[in-house]
Amino acid sequence: MSQSLRPYLTAVRYSLQAALNLSNFSSQEVERHNRPEVEVDNTSAELLLQPMHIARNEHEQVLIEPSVNSVRMSIKVKQADEIEQILVHKFTSFLEQRAENFYVLRRVPVPGYSISFLITNKHTETMITEKLIEFIIDFMEEVDKEISEMKLFLNARARFAAEAYLEQFVY
Amino acid sequence: MEDWRRIDIDAYDPESGRLTADDLKPPYSHTVSLQELQPTIQQLRSYTSSGDFAAAVELFTTDPPYNADEQAKSQYFSGILEVLTQVRQVDIANIVKRLDRKQQDALIKYLYKGMSIPEGQKHGGILLAWFEKLTQVAGVNPIVHYLSDRRTV
Amino acid sequence: MLHLKPYNLLVQKTLTEALEAYNNGSPLTLDRIISDFDYTTLHITNDGTDKSNLLVSIRTKATQSCNESGNDLQGFLQAKFDEVPGLALSSAKKEAGYDFTITVDLSQITAQSIVQASLFKILVMSYPFYLAFGQSNALSQLNEIDQVEKSKEARAMVIKYRDDENIYIKPSFDRITVIFETIFQDETDKVFGKVFLQEFVDARKRNRSIQSAPQVLFSHEPPLEIQEVAQQHAHVAGAKKSTRRFITFVLFPRHYSSDELMFTSVSQLALFRNYFHYHIKCAKAYMHSRMRYRVDTFIKVLNRAKLDEETESDSRRTITGRKMVY
Repeated sequence: MSQSLRPYLTAVRYSLQAALNLSNFSSQEVERHNRPEVEVDNTSAELLLQPMHIARNEHEQVLIEPSVNSVRMSIKVKQADEIEQILVHKFTSFLEQRAENFYVLRRVPVPGYSISFLITNKHTETMITEKLIEFIIDFMEEVDKEISEMKLFLNARARFAAEAYLEQFVY
Repeated sequence: MEDWRRIDIDAYDPESGRLTADDLKPPYSHTVSLQELQPTIQQLRSYTSSGDFAAAVELFTTDPPYNADEQAKSQYFSGILEVLTQVRQVDIANIVKRLDRKQQDALIKYLYKGMSIPEGQKHGGILLAWFEKLTQVAGVNPIVHYLSDRRTV
Repeated sequence: MLHLKPYNLLVQKTLTEALEAYNNGSPLTLDRIISDFDYTTLHITNDGTDKSNLLVSIRTKATQSCNESGNDLQGFLQAKFDEVPGLALSSAKKEAGYDFTITVDLSQITAQSIVQASLFKILVMSYPFYLAFGQSNALSQLNEIDQVEKSKEARAMVIKYRDDENIYIKPSFDRITVIFETIFQDETDKVFGKVFLQEFVDARKRNRSIQSAPQVLFSHEPPLEIQEVAQQHAHVAGAKKSTRRFITFVLFPRHYSSDELMFTSVSQLALFRNYFHYHIKCAKAYMHSRMRYRVDTFIKVLNRAKLDEETESDSRRTITGRKMVY
């Protein structure tokens, strides 16, 4: 792991640990409703806690928005060039289409970010919080790796295809 | 006429008990202006130029100007960012160790603030180094305090 | 499957089947429509009630523009099909709605004829290429001053083989320039295409073993050789200008010094666009399967976080192994 990645992930881990103290909380607005308070148009400011920004640089950031019964976490994945942009977009939309398998994944990212998670008290009740954080950290690591591997692969494939084609003209 | 079914009548009821973001701010007796903060900023600069970072950090983590307006806060913060980014990586741990709990809480607020604005994001690596050292010393405590503290820097 | 084959597999298979059935004494009744790349349709059918003869018709977008380059596409194809036994290009039997029709005499054809018939599309497209080879050879016979002058005058030929995509062929005394104009419809294809094209350009410089391959160039603007011709088509491409790319292949005499070389060069070039887009699609498909795999591993990690329904320590069992219910 590179030198600057470790503190980044550590910061995300600690921030999530602090934020993932969720309790069951019935809606104050609508009777018999129980909704993630970060997601709804909130008229009660006291339910939202201070948002946390964690930034490695301008291109790699995490935003954690905690509330009393839910935490929304958004990740901005590094996109250095056109190819990475497309790869990140493809990859995240691929994941979002399978959001039901991921329980905590949000189908649409928060504007300005590549991918968002929504963790509610239901999730922390049925899952081990530490492991959940583990998953998110693992996810952040793997996404970066995956994107750069795919990019390398694309180049390698293009090179191979080009050489194979031109080889046919060698007599 | 707009759809009357959608009118939020509770908003017109002063007794509804709803709280807005402004209601949550602790009542301050007066607002600190930029002029009043100027001496502290000067003091920070002189500490920085003489290399006494421990004193500088000590200074800005003690009694942060929570009751200043946004503009003054951002001016003040750019002074702090200068201090934070100039400290050598190896010295960070020692400086952090000397902070008491209140000062730790203040420091984490500045770190999160730094990472939320573009100027701070440029130095993301250094801010994260501070963050890491702070959590090594204090664990998750300052972050939990940060979450529920309505006094912003 | 790395390379695309110049001949149409389906045509080849159909004809082979028909030949076998004919030889076994039970000729097939055929009426097949086969599609190929670049809006090409082939139709294989019996010649009326006569089951020993088949008709193979072709319709391609490129026919008209190919014919324009020399006005004798018919004669060219005739010569090509006369080379092998059992095939004859017949204008009398030309099927309505198709450009050319050949009659296949099952009692005479050989395996070689079948291959030739399945190359129908490539043969149509190769006409301008062969013209260019001829012109280039003729130009190289001239004296040095004329060579240069006449080469400048030589007209660039156009094959309009797709809606907005063309191939330009410009002969010269010491080379033939083949320029592909291509448009990327999809934003992803455009970016991937850029990576691929860059590799085509660099491949020759990097790999010494393919130094003798044609030089490849890549540009966003029409290259000088075809500027005047491309201008005529400018109105077509106007709207799509930003996604238009030009890929230039420079063929040297060593690539067309014999009939055999001519044929391989042409069939590879005619398939360039298909090859190129095919590999972009392949790359996408691979990435898709890779992402699928990655999703599975993520789900595994996430499932580790789930609380087990019951752990061994807090579920007591009776002596028979049943679970105790409190």
